[in-house]
Amino acid sequence: MEDEASLLERVQRHDQQALAEVHDRYFDQLYHYLNYRLQDPDVAADLAGEVFLALIQALKRGSPPKTSLTGWLYAVARNLAADHIKKKVTTVPLIDDLVSDEPSLTDQAYLAQLAPTLRQALHQLTDEQQHVITLRFGQGLSLAETAVILDKSVGAVKALQHRALASLARFMPVEVDYDG
Amino acid sequence: MTDSFESILDESISALQAGIPIEEVLAEVPDYAGQLRPLLYAAMLVADPNPQLLPDERKEALRAQYLAQAATLPPVTPTIAEKVEAVFRIIRRRLTRKAVLSDLITITVTVFLTLLMSALILSFAAADTLPGDWLYGLKRVSEEVRLALTFNQADRLALEENFNQERIAEIEALTQQNRAAVVQFRGTLDAREESLWIVEGFTILLPDDVAIQGEPQEGDRVEVMGLLRTSNVLIAETIKKIDQR
Repeated sequence: MEDEASLLERVQRHDQQALAEVHDRYFDQLYHYLNYRLQDPDVAADLAGEVFLALIQALKRGSPPKTSLTGWLYAVARNLAADHIKKKVTTVPLIDDLVSDEPSLTDQAYLAQLAPTLRQALHQLTDEQQHVITLRFGQGLSLAETAVILDKSVGAVKALQHRALASLARFMPVEVDYDG
Repeated sequence: MTDSFESILDESISALQAGIPIEEVLAEVPDYAGQLRPLLYAAMLVADPNPQLLPDERKEALRAQYLAQAATLPPVTPTIAEKVEAVFRIIRRRLTRKAVLSDLITITVTVFLTLLMSALILSFAAADTLPGDWLYGLKRVSEEVRLALTFNQADRLALEENFNQERIAEIEALTQQNRAAVVQFRGTLDAREESLWIVEGFTILLPDDVAIQGEPQEGDRVEVMGLLRTSNVLIAETIKKIDQR
């Protein structure tokens, strides 16, 4: 497969084949990213389409991605997701409110009940924390890959990941000493 | 919170993602188990191992919309400066240690194989040449190479004898074709008169200025170098007695 730098060079030259390849290579992962964050397949599909149209607009303006095509596409997707989430404020009940009897983390049925609520709770995190959680656990990217997309060091991503999980853990029925 | 806890958390997440049960992961770091447990459960619950795919029709429609917009982009003609920069960019990319080494190996192997193939083809073409032909020198060089690469004494002597028989066959061929050429061969001195000797059945004329080394007598092995005239007369330039073997 052609490396990203060569593909980006061809995109900057408005090469039609390269532009088609960008869609084929990145659409699914950006759609998964948006669907994970928004939990709405229809909106995720629309916004994924908008990410690519934004690329065409950027090329028309003469301000194409300069260094990282992946980073640029994810940055647009992240902004679109954040804008959409702002418009749609949701409140998430604490997990304890969902069950009447004593919860246990080893109870599989209880865990199955926890998962969708915890996904909703993602929206309570900062945009940057949501971005990291989505890339690491929604997309399954490594720390290094996440760091490249965020344009941050691996250490910074580790710290963000920790804070995000600690925030999410607040919705779990156990005490979390996330400040150490 | 220290960086070491963040590293332990990440290693524990990696173990979880590799399919190790959460309790086993926590058992590896008992001192941190209390802090890690809720974080790992959160990580486990937010993971999306089976992401939903968008139906193909919807994806194709979005792709078509995007490509229609892409088709409206004007073509970009690079400036000379951009072209030069692109060339340097390619060179810089090729200038990694691995790429340079790879190129050197490729060039060396290609040159070696080309030379080897050329030498083989020319040697094959030179095999039937006679003294005076333009590839004859190559035939003699290839014989010298074979001799130099034969380290066993007996094999070397046998090879030298084969090559000498080839010299004699060449003189016979030249004689049949009535061609003049400088020739060289080894043979037994069968008879000697003052200015006419017979070596290996060939009659040889000895001019006044012939150089004779070692005072050869009848029955001795000699090496003769001389000019074979078109009249099939061999005029000696040098005659050298060689050691009996």
